[in-house]
Amino acid sequence: MSRSAKILTQFFGMENLFQIEVYLEQGGYQAVKKTLAEWKPEEVLKEVKEASLRGRGGAGFPAGLKWSFVPSKTDKPKYLCVNADEGEPGTFKDRYILSHNPHLLIEGIIIASYAVGIHAAYVYIRGEYEVLAERLEQAARNAYEKGFLGKNILGSGFDLEFFVHLGAGAYICGEETALLESLEGKRGNPRLKPPFPASVGLFQCPTVVNNVETLANVPFILLNGASRFLEQGLSRDGGTRIFSVSGAVNKPGIYELPVGTNLREIIFNQAEGLKSGKKLKAVIPGGMSSPILKADEIDISMDCESLAAAGSMLGSAAIIVIDDETPILEVLKRVAKFYAHESCGQCTPCRLGTSWIEKIVRRMAEGKGERGDVDNLLRLAENIKGRTLCPLGDAAALPVLSIVKKFREELETSLLA
Amino acid sequence: MVKISINGKPIEVNEGTTIFRAAEQAGVPLPHLCYHAAFVPEGSCRICLIEIEGLPKLELACATVVREGMKIATESASVREARRSVLEFLLAEHPLDCPICDKAGECKLQNYYQDYGLTESVFREAKKKREKKVNIGEKLILDRERCILCTRCVRFLAEVTKTHELGVFERGLRSEISTYNGEFVQNGYSGNLVDLCPVGAITDVEFRFKTRPWFLVKGESICPLCSRGCNIYVDYHPGFPRVPGSAKVYRIRPRKNEAVNGHWLCDSGRYGFVDREFRNRCEKLVWKKGEKEIPLSWDKILMLLAEKIMSLHFMKKTDRIGLVLNTGLTNEELFLIKKIFRDDLNVGKIFFVDPQAGAGDGFLLQAERSPNARGAREVGFDIRSVRPAELAGIKILMIFGQFLTNVHSLADLKLALDRIETKVLVTSRSGGLESLVDFVLPAAVVAEKAGSLTNADGRIQKFRPAVVPCGDIRPEWNILVELAKELKLNSGYYGRFSEAEAVFKELSRERPFFGTPT
Repeated sequence: MSRSAKILTQFFGMENLFQIEVYLEQGGYQAVKKTLAEWKPEEVLKEVKEASLRGRGGAGFPAGLKWSFVPSKTDKPKYLCVNADEGEPGTFKDRYILSHNPHLLIEGIIIASYAVGIHAAYVYIRGEYEVLAERLEQAARNAYEKGFLGKNILGSGFDLEFFVHLGAGAYICGEETALLESLEGKRGNPRLKPPFPASVGLFQCPTVVNNVETLANVPFILLNGASRFLEQGLSRDGGTRIFSVSGAVNKPGIYELPVGTNLREIIFNQAEGLKSGKKLKAVIPGGMSSPILKADEIDISMDCESLAAAGSMLGSAAIIVIDDETPILEVLKRVAKFYAHESCGQCTPCRLGTSWIEKIVRRMAEGKGERGDVDNLLRLAENIKGRTLCPLGDAAALPVLSIVKKFREELETSLLA
Repeated sequence: MVKISINGKPIEVNEGTTIFRAAEQAGVPLPHLCYHAAFVPEGSCRICLIEIEGLPKLELACATVVREGMKIATESASVREARRSVLEFLLAEHPLDCPICDKAGECKLQNYYQDYGLTESVFREAKKKREKKVNIGEKLILDRERCILCTRCVRFLAEVTKTHELGVFERGLRSEISTYNGEFVQNGYSGNLVDLCPVGAITDVEFRFKTRPWFLVKGESICPLCSRGCNIYVDYHPGFPRVPGSAKVYRIRPRKNEAVNGHWLCDSGRYGFVDREFRNRCEKLVWKKGEKEIPLSWDKILMLLAEKIMSLHFMKKTDRIGLVLNTGLTNEELFLIKKIFRDDLNVGKIFFVDPQAGAGDGFLLQAERSPNARGAREVGFDIRSVRPAELAGIKILMIFGQFLTNVHSLADLKLALDRIETKVLVTSRSGGLESLVDFVLPAAVVAEKAGSLTNADGRIQKFRPAVVPCGDIRPEWNILVELAKELKLNSGYYGRFSEAEAVFKELSRERPFFGTPT
């Protein structure tokens, strides 16, 4: 397999791939057939572990390890919750999987459920993806008709029920425990951890929460083996990522590329560089919550560990390209406004910190910034960081910290003398 | 047991203990706003963050369980800085209306600011304006500007009453506590929200703007409004600025007792207490001869009474003595009555008239609306009521309390009482009977006396005076002891009872049931 082989987007160009007949013609559901006929659940788990498949939602947690945390012996039912609440600004990869290839996701769900011993899977889709939810439901109906879902799948004795749940438009419901609360019909507030969902999750039962793209990788791994999967990407961070590239580039869009592809390569070769006459100013490499990189920091391997070492994160692999004509204050304003708007309000530092930061930045954008504001932004963000109930606090604080630290001079020019 | 250290001091605690509780056991109180011992930890206020050696981030004391060898620092520089920062965040959007806030003086936010805040404000922005007077219950007013969203109120209604009247609406800074569709918090326990609120966001209509907490003295007592015997604080004004008459009681609050009332108090007790116990008090000792009131001291009055009783006793006519008691009297008082009147004087006509029973609610409030019926039975009384006709032939009648007027009309009572030579009313409050009797002996309420009550479960609860009575008021046990001394039946015996505790000792010697008070 070549370095540029596609795992997820291979057939995206094909018309009506979302229809089960078309999907089957392309060899669809072979992975499920093979897995249920030939593999034991523990073998599936082992294979996925060996593939070094990291979570594609943002945290990059190894998927196989996450599955193995679910107790194998329990009186309670176990659940799979698929996080399709794609809300990280800049991220639009899961929607492509859902719209172009929903059966790939369903296959991944079946295999993951089989591996963990799960008999009910819920897909939590963000409220704005109503059309995609309908498409997924249609796909699931067809999968039921063909015997891929429901009782005794393909005569294997394995049962799996499939549910699609539409969210109501809150970013926080993409946080896995808030997602569970919302799925249970409650207000989408994150839960205290521990306990983690693997032991106490949906309806107080052991639960796996995986991102759409993560699960969409699973059929390939089972069909072709972990070693084929690892032919792309890195040994500790395998396969490809779908990079969502947006901003001031000539060709914004999704790019499925091996994990570890250089960021410069993605921006300048894949997305064909910046729009004419513009220069690169900065890049947000992993969705809006990831710390910003300056133009001279983009020679970097796009994998979880390299970006962490550079003080940022791969997150959802959403690359936002910022050109030199965009005032950094404008970027900061967007960031601050978003997190202030999306904070659930449950814990003190996030509720009051994000809104305070937003008030300061808005005032600065109105030309009423004062001496001390910049330092105050740093101080407030530091006081949010690491002290909140869920990761949203960090998601709000880290980009502010990086923007203020890296573009302090430019920000200070906007202040009143 | 798990060995840990808190601020360098080693301590052993049970497995599964949270750091918060371990610190409590070590005598290190931690600041907390959302945490409450009765609820599942919420972990949202973030003020109880502490440092654990070897961990990169501060951890929640309320939700983190101790592990062997844990080294915990609760006052390190980073912990104090985190607390300061939480307070800074909260105060940024908190109105500074402490001067008119009922909670000022007992406000956690205010107190913690003294301990950890005390920094200059750098908040230059406009605070969010919110509604400041929202009726969320018959006695409850919500001030949304003061609310710090600790959700104690929401969780009380979810976890304790399970009535779910309140919720958090909207999100982020726009988050607000609200009722659903404007429906009131109404579940018989709404007043607890006022105690639970760590700030002045939920205030009590009955207490609003009446006084300041720092003027109040808190006495400990037992709520006598039903047979549960909830442990309470009686908050009263000790007299400055001068309040004429009785020390002014403003409110009662629950006093934690896991075995009786947990942390809670029902609304019937909370909102009935002041009215029933401290309004319309009888404060003056009265002897009426015909239409004339003759001022006399307690000694003289008791001597006079004793003479009347003894004259019947010498004539062997103590069957002409009648008593109307109630089960609001303490174990000690009931015991003294039994000793003096039944054992020494052989009086048989002893009746009980109590407040009318209501409905129990299956939680704290009992159907029996008197605090000591169980105690009366254990002392040895048959609790039976009285018809006015049964009073025929009585020459001396001692009535305790005003409850007769609940069951019989004043006209009927007048008819019956007019035929009785000597009528003595021992009462804490006025209520109609005093116009029909010759002697009015002003008595103390439970909160003003020492003694013990036996609740519906047979739990004997002792208490000391919480409030100093005024005027001529004396506790019944004391009146009875002094009367017994005047009767000179067994001076050695009664002479020992200089305090209620001595009476209790004698009671528990005679009735083994009373051997184990708590």
